[in-house]
Amino acid sequence: MSATVLPGTVVPAQHANLKLGPGLIQKSDAGAAGPSIITTRTGTLNHSSNGSKWWVESNSRRYVPAPQESVIGVVVQKVGDGFRVDIGAAHSASLDGLAFEGATKRNKPNIKIGCVVYARVSLAHKDMEPELECFDAQTRKAEGFGEVKGGFLVRCSLKMCRNLLDPKHFLLPLLGARFPLEAAVGMNGRVWINAKEPRQIIAISRCIEAVDPDGGGMDEAGIKAFLGTLDI
Amino acid sequence: MSRYQGRQPHEPRAIQISFDGLARVDGSARFSFGPISALSSVSGPIEVRLASENASQATLDVLVRPLSNVPATEAKALAATVRGLLTPSLLLANNPRTLVQIVAQALVPSTGSGPKRANVNAVTAAVVNASTLALLNAGSIPMRGVICAVAVGRRKDTGTLVVDPDEGDGTLDAEGCFAFMFTRNGNDVQSQCVWTNWKQSTGDEGVLDKARELAGQAAGDVYAAMHASVDGMNKADSRVVIPVQKEDMIAEDTGNNDDKMEI
Repeated sequence: MSATVLPGTVVPAQHANLKLGPGLIQKSDAGAAGPSIITTRTGTLNHSSNGSKWWVESNSRRYVPAPQESVIGVVVQKVGDGFRVDIGAAHSASLDGLAFEGATKRNKPNIKIGCVVYARVSLAHKDMEPELECFDAQTRKAEGFGEVKGGFLVRCSLKMCRNLLDPKHFLLPLLGARFPLEAAVGMNGRVWINAKEPRQIIAISRCIEAVDPDGGGMDEAGIKAFLGTLDI
Repeated sequence: MSRYQGRQPHEPRAIQISFDGLARVDGSARFSFGPISALSSVSGPIEVRLASENASQATLDVLVRPLSNVPATEAKALAATVRGLLTPSLLLANNPRTLVQIVAQALVPSTGSGPKRANVNAVTAAVVNASTLALLNAGSIPMRGVICAVAVGRRKDTGTLVVDPDEGDGTLDAEGCFAFMFTRNGNDVQSQCVWTNWKQSTGDEGVLDKARELAGQAAGDVYAAMHASVDGMNKADSRVVIPVQKEDMIAEDTGNNDDKMEI
């Protein structure tokens, strides 16, 4: 079932182990027949096949931190033992100086103001400042988190980031088949890309902007035609 | 005198909605009742000044810019109105210590005297509807309902109540704007009046009840137009033009408006 819903729509979600995803809240109505589930944003209403997980698939440009999401941030300040990182949310996130693989008091990472880091949100409570860590939660190893050097930062909408993280999406494999590239996709609307030549980096950046649902949403055939016009 | 485009008393002027995709904000939309047009943009939740920070909820800030000159008393009054109107529909407690900033601009002259001055209630309604659509477009602030507004007036010559009065209706001896919050349960659309500035010089409160009922039906048309427009929200440069006719506004069936869509 994927109908476009507006906020304030009652959702017929019933299950023993019901899990509500983004865009749904449970409204406890004292007078009515028990609590009801309503949507809080515009988008398409989806649910899992057994009806236990419901969510609203929508697009927006502003990131609201949620735990265990990988984000790309820019270091803006050195505060005591740690750093303040701008992740595009309402508040800056704090990244402890020891939240890296193999970091000790004597062996701290060499991160300066203006560095780009790929980190995981470890704490995201609405009343507190978000906190980041640069290692995987289970293995405690870097697994790609940490400072990323060189490259270029591209801004896109949140739905585009989720699309790029989907292994079945066409864009990154299509570009990777033409030239080697590196990409780190943050869930906060930022993508870090790197390739050998500047015109390849520019091509990736323009393709991301073209496929972004916010800016037209070009499909695979359109991108192939578009790449033909670029000089790569 | 005849109304704009020969409308019936219960019909608002042609509703036009477009999502402009302004560059530096999180959501934006444009709403028109015929020639009365308003553009609104929303940014949030963003960083807030320490002085306006609220520890338990987001701060809602509404700025209204008139078409010309700096914002004066009328613009500030409209901004305070819109702020009071929209607050009940937003779940501001989800993002404490942040700011939700709405900037709305009326695209018709609404101050000064003379024949060019637009009906202030129509402008209020257009600004409220544009702000609601911009909030829907932004998608980052949770909402518990959709607020739609229409202007209603009573003609001095015939004494009939008309929706969205224009110059063709002549002088009005009672007028105001009504705002409703819409929620939906399946096919059943529920609305609740959340605000009005109705003013009348003669008659009893029965007139207010009739005006509110008439406004409620017209606001339902606005809600259906909004629902039809969000389907095309993410396509570049989409515009939905809906000359409102009662038979066609079946809320669930959005396919009906395809032949009226002008791009």
